[in-house]
Amino acid sequence: MTLPSLAVAAPRSRVDHLWRLFGTGLSFVCFGLGGVLISLTLFPLIRLFSWNRERCRRRIQRAMHHTFRLFVWLMTRLGVISWEVHGRERLLQPGQLVVANHPTLIDVVLIIALMPEVDCIVKQALFRNPFLRWPVAWAGYIPNRESGALIDDCARALRAGRSLLVFPEGTRTIPGQPMALKRGAAQIALAAGCPLRPVGITCRPLMLTKYEPWYRIPPRPGHWRLEVGEALPVADVGAGAGGQALAARRLTQQLAAQFSPYAQACSWV
Amino acid sequence: MRSEQEIFEHLKGVLVELFEIEPAKITPQAHLYQDLDIDSIDAIDLILKLKDYTGTKMQPDEFKNVRTVGDVVDAIRTLVAS
Repeated sequence: MTLPSLAVAAPRSRVDHLWRLFGTGLSFVCFGLGGVLISLTLFPLIRLFSWNRERCRRRIQRAMHHTFRLFVWLMTRLGVISWEVHGRERLLQPGQLVVANHPTLIDVVLIIALMPEVDCIVKQALFRNPFLRWPVAWAGYIPNRESGALIDDCARALRAGRSLLVFPEGTRTIPGQPMALKRGAAQIALAAGCPLRPVGITCRPLMLTKYEPWYRIPPRPGHWRLEVGEALPVADVGAGAGGQALAARRLTQQLAAQFSPYAQACSWV
Repeated sequence: MRSEQEIFEHLKGVLVELFEIEPAKITPQAHLYQDLDIDSIDAIDLILKLKDYTGTKMQPDEFKNVRTVGDVVDAIRTLVAS
């Protein structure tokens, strides 16, 4: 009785693998081509009809949000990934610094898909990219300049009541390696006097990690779990003798402790 | 005129106070960024704090070539001497 089902199971899993390989590739192509297409059509149109700079910024950010939602929907429909979110409503509070651990390539896509309006820090190189330079500028995204200027820019955005997304790791951490948080996120929160809103991200089985090619897909679709935690109040961190520098160290330690279980729960199987 | 040793001891005290760095880790050869985890924002705080000690403010340019604790001691000595 078991033999026939086994015989069916083997080719099916190969088909499943090939399908997800195709779906993952297709997702990448859609992301790249879709990004160029939208940058040449939708975003300029929004800009054309939004002379007010602030209104333009909000509309562009909302368009980004919907685009990313569509993209996540595509990936889930293709069966390439699945995801669950806990505490999404906490992300909708304005003027908070949203911080997340960063195991995979699409962490930023998932979080923007959850937040209609959020500022991001982007590579300065994007402001020279022929397709993306205008959209990132219109969206009011913040270039990662020299650290002092960057912290000022970020604090200003937060004080203006906007929310900002930062990955304190700076880049994706290779799974299994210790997470090293930079203190920039804590320094921004201290400068702006705003709460830190942690998002713990776990991906299981892992895919789209750093140094792993896109075609290395796991045995099952990758499942992302995002948990939005309680805000870490910045005022609670005693300034003490060292002032800001020490406060930033303490806050960063708190963040590392907060993220550690989520990062450790990521696994290849 | 303060001796090199005096300057080093003072700097050590400042680093412990500002950043809670383990005193044992602070040697003239210790690398500020790699060994003591002092980033560029910390460096600004450090320069401000050292101003109380030297009386004149170190220019960020003078701090650019600073890599180790010993380099900071040298920078302070140059500043005080000039």
